Amino acid sequence: MEEQARVRVMVVDDHPMWRDAVVSDLEAAGLDVVATAATGTEAINRFRATRPQVVVLDLQIPPPNGVEVTATVLQEDPSARVLILSASGEQDDVLEAVKAGATGYLVKSASREELLAAVRRVSVGDSVFTPGLAGLVLGEFRRMAQDPEPATPPGEQLTDRETEILKMVAKGLSYKQIAERLVLSHRTVQNHVQNTLRKLQLHNRVELTRYAIEQGLDD
Amino acid sequence: MTTSIRAVVAVEDRMFRALAVLRVVVLANAVGIAAFRNNFDHPVAGWTCIGVMVLWTAHAVITYAKPIRRTVRLLGADLAVAVALMAVTPWVKGEWFNATIPGFWVMGALLAWAVRYGWRGGLAAAVVLAATDRLIRTDFDQGNYANLFLVLIGGPLVGYLAESLQQMAAERDRAERDAAAAAERARLARVVHDGVLQVLALVQRRGAELGGDAAELGRLAGEQEQVLRTLVRTQDRVTTGQDGGTEDLAVALEAYADRPGVQVALPGGPVELPADVVAEVAAVVGACLDNVTRHVGEGAPAWVLLEDLGDRVAVSVRDEGGGIPEGRLDRARSEGRLGVSESIRGRVRDLGGEVVLTTGPYGTEWELVVPRGSRDR
Repeated sequence: MEEQARVRVMVVDDHPMWRDAVVSDLEAAGLDVVATAATGTEAINRFRATRPQVVVLDLQIPPPNGVEVTATVLQEDPSARVLILSASGEQDDVLEAVKAGATGYLVKSASREELLAAVRRVSVGDSVFTPGLAGLVLGEFRRMAQDPEPATPPGEQLTDRETEILKMVAKGLSYKQIAERLVLSHRTVQNHVQNTLRKLQLHNRVELTRYAIEQGLDD
Repeated sequence: MTTSIRAVVAVEDRMFRALAVLRVVVLANAVGIAAFRNNFDHPVAGWTCIGVMVLWTAHAVITYAKPIRRTVRLLGADLAVAVALMAVTPWVKGEWFNATIPGFWVMGALLAWAVRYGWRGGLAAAVVLAATDRLIRTDFDQGNYANLFLVLIGGPLVGYLAESLQQMAAERDRAERDAAAAAERARLARVVHDGVLQVLALVQRRGAELGGDAAELGRLAGEQEQVLRTLVRTQDRVTTGQDGGTEDLAVALEAYADRPGVQVALPGGPVELPADVVAEVAAVVGACLDNVTRHVGEGAPAWVLLEDLGDRVAVSVRDEGGGIPEGRLDRARSEGRLGVSESIRGRVRDLGGEVVLTTGPYGTEWELVVPRGSRDR
């Protein structure tokens, strides 16, 4: 292939000013912005119509909110990727979005370069962690481990290595630094980090299913 | 007070529903006894009185069910019927009667007054009933006295309890309304803050790209954005009803994100610890960060991570400076100076915790682990 296929992106933000800024940055960098949306409903409808690979999503949008949009979009197309771009960084919302399947999180104060790098990384299946997000995810696993009822099955728990790496990410080490310290390849570190997200999402799905069965919503 | 009317009426409704049941019970009791003894001197008059009681009970049960019908007239009539039935007793039953025709049935009117008008109402109705009972009896014995005494105690007492319940319900209502208002204020604030944060982040981003004076504006916007973001998160974590003097260590550490270069990673929920432990841990973290500023530089990047490990909490403070040169800590100790590191260790030890210091060319990391449980003093 002579020319790499351009990454197809949708930008969801209710602030026109921000939406335009993000769109122009992405387009200037050669990405293909196939749709924009200002509300959750618009986002879901336009996602169906245009099938973008990456959704750059603000969490604080008119309903349905960012968390619901994340869940709906990924249910429709599990190969799509959601990058959360949040202004206030409200921790509960961010954690919920990540549990629903978002694989990246950036605060809006991130620079244009950081945004572009994040979109590219998310589009190839990598996850984009800030130390803040790593701290949240780590805290969530710690909470699950302390909760005696119901016991978390081993498949949804972190291995010692995963915990160690997640902790290092939360302490601000880059994947490269972690790879050097632990004498691992960059790819391996990346895989471990991704596994933590996968397990969190798996746990969330299992919880939701259990809840549905308990409430008799499964039929 | 208009705000509490709803609560007052709700309590009254409940009490009158209970009273309706009680009225039927005491009516059944009165009818049963009348049928069993059948000791009226004038049976027709006696059974007419019983009929009046049945009709009045039905009327009262239906009428008291509607808050708007609980008027002075109704309550006055209620009491008047009870008094009238007592007053005709000497004629219907003969002068040497023992129990009055209505008997315990007068309780209905008495308690209605207590519920509606509080302890004063209960007392007034009790006095009227007691006085009537005393006046109609030729022969007043110890048993009669005991009954009057109980009526005079019971009326005001039930009235007082009803008032207290209404007061508590009104207070609870007010507290619920305040909480709802606070939640709504917080929600509105979030919407406003989110808009402001968006603009500040945009100014920061565009400013940096434009350079020159705009870059300075962008930098200022960035600082304000950081401050506001911290404020928003701190507000979200403010909990009402602090019990036992605990505080949220996450909030305390979040404040350090204001410092340039410092990033703080926290778990999702609050991390409650005794207030003095929170203050001390936060102060120690502050000392570590001061140390970073002193030895690595102003605005040097540093990371704070808080972990809640159940029985203990762990706080890491990391920088990417040149590390602490070998011998510096020992030298400080041998010179009799209490170096920063000794001071940090000592303070954490006092909390029953421990410190792990790792340092090297890659930087310095402090890990403080403090037990959650009560510490020995």
